[in-house]
Order: sequence, then C-alpha cells, then structure tokens
Amino acid sequence: MSHGPGTRVQTHIGDPVGGEPPLPRAKLEEIFADIQSDLRFDHELNGCLNCGICTATCPAAHYYDFSPREIVQLLWTENLEGIYDAMQEKIWACAQCYTCAARCPFGNSPGGLIMLMRETAIKHQMKSAKDVLRPFSRVMLKLISTGNQLSPDMINKEHFADWGPNISKVEAPLKLLRKAIPMPTLNTTATAWEVNLKTSIELYTIWEMTGVLQQLEGIDENLFDVITDIMDEKREDWKDFLADEQNEQEADT
Amino acid sequence: MTERFTGHGAEWRDANLTPTEAKIATSWVELKVDKRSMLTNKDRVEDVRDAMWQLEKDGEIVVHRVLDEHQPVTVKTLYGWDKKIPTQRLWHHKSCGQCGNIPGYPASLLWLMNKMGIEYLDETDQTSCTAWNYHGSGIGNLESLAAVFLRNFHQAYVAAKSQGLPEAYYYPLVHCGTSFGNYKEVRAYLLHSAKLRESVKKILGKLGRLVDGKLLIPEEVVHYSEWLHVMRDRIAAMREIDCSGIRATIHPACHVYKMVPEDAIYDDSILGGNRLAVSTGLMQSLGAQVIDYSTWYDCCGFGFRHIISEREFTRSFAIDRKIRVAVEEARADVMIGHDTGCITTLDKNQWIGKAAGKAVELAVLADCQFAALVCGAHPYKIVQSHWHASPTETLMEKLGIDWEAKKAEFVAYLEQIKTGKQENLYDPRRMITSGPGYIPLKSLS
Repeated sequence: MSHGPGTRVQTHIGDPVGGEPPLPRAKLEEIFADIQSDLRFDHELNGCLNCGICTATCPAAHYYDFSPREIVQLLWTENLEGIYDAMQEKIWACAQCYTCAARCPFGNSPGGLIMLMRETAIKHQMKSAKDVLRPFSRVMLKLISTGNQLSPDMINKEHFADWGPNISKVEAPLKLLRKAIPMPTLNTTATAWEVNLKTSIELYTIWEMTGVLQQLEGIDENLFDVITDIMDEKREDWKDFLADEQNEQEADT
Repeated sequence: MTERFTGHGAEWRDANLTPTEAKIATSWVELKVDKRSMLTNKDRVEDVRDAMWQLEKDGEIVVHRVLDEHQPVTVKTLYGWDKKIPTQRLWHHKSCGQCGNIPGYPASLLWLMNKMGIEYLDETDQTSCTAWNYHGSGIGNLESLAAVFLRNFHQAYVAAKSQGLPEAYYYPLVHCGTSFGNYKEVRAYLLHSAKLRESVKKILGKLGRLVDGKLLIPEEVVHYSEWLHVMRDRIAAMREIDCSGIRATIHPACHVYKMVPEDAIYDDSILGGNRLAVSTGLMQSLGAQVIDYSTWYDCCGFGFRHIISEREFTRSFAIDRKIRVAVEEARADVMIGHDTGCITTLDKNQWIGKAAGKAVELAVLADCQFAALVCGAHPYKIVQSHWHASPTETLMEKLGIDWEAKKAEFVAYLEQIKTGKQENLYDPRRMITSGPGYIPLKSLS
C-alpha cells in the first residue's frame, strides 16, 4: 500500500518527507523526548526483529486495529510521526495484560511502553487522552480523593446494566449487606474499605509532590476543582483533630 | 481498501491471509507459551534482591526482613531461585476491587487464617496501590506509584506499635494481583535508580515514613495466593466436603506471573513445572480435578480501562476466550482465579452473552473462596457468594451444599444485624491504629 496524497497520514500528520506537517517537527521531537527520558524506556525496549509474537498473543489485537509489534517498531525506529499518530487512539486499546512482555524474545515490554506513551499523551493534554478518559472520571474522583479505586455504591444496575440482574442475589439495602461482611473495615458503602483520615492526608501529599494533580488539571479542570475541594475539607478535618488532641493533652497536664 | 498507517514505509504490504492461514501462521505461538519459552531470557535477568542487599550494606536502605517469627516456607520461582513466603503475623494489604465488589474474597482468606490460628492485622491505614487507575488512565507516574508502595509497606512495618508490639512484627501480604505485579516492578526500579530513590525519599521523609532516615524496602513482595500455596496441605487437612467430582479450570492472573515473571512460583510436581503453581497446587491438594484448556494463558479481558468504559471488549474477550472455552472444551464446573480484576470480569460478564447468542455459564470463584467453601465456611456469611453473578449455586449443588437453606440462614442473619448483633472475624477495635477512632492499647485491655 502506498501512502499517496490524501492518506490518513497526510491528512492528520503530513508527509514526513515532502510536506509540511501540521504539527511542528520540534513538537514531535519534544513528545518523543518525553517518552524516551523515562527511566523505564531502555528497560522496556531492547530491540525488535518484527517476529510478531507480541501481536499474536495480544488480546487487544483480536478486537482493535492495534498491534504491539507496530508500537515497538515505531519507537525502535524513532518514527516520530508514527508515534504521534499511534498516540491519537491506538495506545488506548492496550489491555495492559503484559502477555506481550512475557513472550518477547528480546525482553521488550510493549505494554510498558504503552504506559509511557499514555503518560506523555496526558502531559501534552492530547485530545485523545481527554476523550478516552472522560468516562473514567468517576473512577479518578474516587481514587484520588479516597485512595480506593472502586466502591460498593458504584456497582449498581444503572451503571452496570450489562452485568444482569444478579449484581446481588440477596435483595436488601446496600448498607445492610455491607454490614453483613464479617470484616469491620469493609462495612462501608462509599469506599471499598474504611480509610483512616491520616492515610488520606498522606496520599494527598504524594499526589501533590509527584505532579499527579497537575496531570489531572490538564486533562479535566472541573474534576480537578472537585477533588481539590474534597482535599481541602479533609485537611481541615485533620487540622481539627490535631487541635482537639492537643487541647485534650493540655487539659490532662 | 481502507488506508492504514503501519509505520513501516511505503514498501509494506498486507499479507491478506485467510482466517485459516492466519491460524496456521500463529498457532506455533500458542504452543509455545509455557515456562520453557519464558526461560529464554534467563541469562539476561538479574535477581534484584542482590541489588537490595548491596544497598542495605551501603547504608542506603533498610530491608524489611521475613523473620523466623513469620514462620516462612521457602519455594522455588521461575529460574529456580528461592523465595521466602511468611505464614504468620501478616498485615493484610487489601484490594479495592475485592473489597468493593467481591468481599467474600478477603473474608474467605481471613476465615481460613482464623481456622489455622494465624495472627494478622486488618487495618484502615492503607490505600490501594493506585495501579488499576494508572494502567487504565495513565494518570500517575513511577514516582507516585513508588511513594504509595513505600507508604503502605512502611505502615505494615510500624502497625504493631499501636498494639504495644515492636516494629517489623507484621509482614505485608498483598491481596491484589495488580498490586503484587506493580509493587514488584516498582521495587526493581527503586533498587536500580538512585534518582528515583532520592525523589521518593523526600516524599517519604515529609510523611514521616523513613526508618532511621532511610527508605524501607521489603525483602519479598508476597501475594496471598503464595501464602495459600505453601499452606495448601494444611488447608486440605481441614476439608469437610469432597470435591473430587469437581472439574476446575484455572485462570492464572497476568499481573501475577507475566509481570516480573522471575518472581512467580513454579513447582516441578505441579503440571510438570510448566505452569504457574499457585491455585493449581491448592486445588489439587483439595482433591479437585484440574482440567487444562487451550486458552489458559490468555488474559481475562479486564483491561483496567475497558472494564469501566469499553466493556464491549471486556465481555467479548471474557466470553469467547475464557468462559466458552472452559465450558465447551474443558467441561468445567468452576473457573478458579487469584486476582481481583479476573474474578470480576469472568464472573460478571456472562449474563450479557445471552444477547449475542453466546449463552454460556460457569461458576467463578477465587481460590480462597473455593477452599473456604469445602472447608465448611458459610456460603453467604463468609464466602459472600450472593455478590457473584455467575451460577455459584450450580457448583454448590454439585458439592452437596444446600444453598437455599444457607441463603435462608443468611437472610435471617440480616435481621439479626439490624439488632446490632454482627458477627466479625476479628475484634473491630483493632482496625484503627492511629488518628480519629483509635483506641489505645490500655483502653482495649
């Protein structure tokens, strides 16, 4: 197949040889530099002979126009236009099972490389990342504000209609069913387990110091606002607890 | 012809294979997926624990050791290396997906531990590993994953102090397969990158989570399925229900044995040492028939992002590549797994198959749930099988369990709970180790 005028490559990226790419070369280089500068890059990419064992065992390749072999080749040959193109959609097809990594004779990890590309897509606030992650916002709200990815109140027939009528085979209020779990940490509905207030405060420090909140702000500003409000409230609660504790200690002495 | 961009230049051509030709071209891959193919990299893989001991010797880190008091059992991993599995004094590092969605999974594990007199702590001072979100969304990074890992494991190290016991008393036991894979991967990067250590040390220092001013690294990262594996004969000795008529298929979890494969347990006496030993070993010890099937190595279809927002992929893969194969090829009674996402995916995505003319049904349970069930645990109070969408009732009937009577008991128990009489596996006052709600040791006694 030749890439003549009017191909998808030319429409979206431009002819890397003869035409002017809509995305400046410097920007493409910056994107690739971000992927390549991650300390995991050299560990995950060692070489490639195009054997295709990764794609042959890839679950996503069964259903999507996606091939881990192609991703590895793009990175190995430093095909900057192709890398950018793959970041528009393909990288989000990967199921992150690492079957490819377990099979690659070179010890590459296409799944691991995909993660570096996803992180970079987020850093550069690519539209693909914003589109793909929009339905994921409920999960990110829960994870970043509580440290739990999934909570019992998220599993209901409205959100998971395709799971059928047996989300719980005993009809009873969720709160009561959760109390019937013989682990007291699990008697919760809004988080998977009860999370210590101090734990949440420590987690927020991690998010701030590692740039995760910045990532979130770039992708979804509204969600960022909601989450920072929750963080502020919990930090106030923690301050109040510490003040009460100090008052009690002073009263004791 | 649809135009596609392959990244290989204008000379690249589609092979245009027929489905049959494509099958022939790739079938060799399916025949070459066992332990032997993973051994090809043996010479190029190092044991990161060597780097760990060196860093401790250099005074850079402190290693949280598996002590004699943890009564470890030594097993062999992929390359024949030793791995110490602690069996006593365990700190439960819970799984958000298990606790939120399939709570009988951790409850069954704790129930088995109670039956065997295992000392443990289940507390509130822990977050998830955050790796589900990371693999699904790309939000997060190596530094955040490393900081979360070290924070949680530091808490495991100091948790016993709330009970008046020394540091390092408990050893962390990781419930989730994704946490297990993620933590091992992150540990390796921490041991190799001084830059990463330096950046997370600042964070852990700010949190007050250093030991003698140093990062705390666990000697072993241990998955609960590994604990079950080394305890399998003791568990089998408690069996009350004959399960020799049960045909079980095993779904090995990707993040348990494909991530950091050199740390996964293999045993020459289990499937010739060619497959992951955990879960299979337990089921064999319990007396069930473990049946092989051609797609055993496939993932479940969870996909991290896909299970939430692109479920067409998840359910198609779960039905076509796992459940249908286990039912039609292996004539299985149950599929046994050892990870959060797999159990959820395989269990919940069967009903929708009816809409596509793929009506296949198969009970799906975690290994510890099956073990608890045949050791006499209550199917609803402990195994919490009502949260499973798959036909666990059919399996229970085959095991001779009157599930209708047990379900009626559970419904009556719900009325009892309304009066405040809740039955727990441990003293709830132990679960908060600091902050609001913490009850100091003196008050407890």
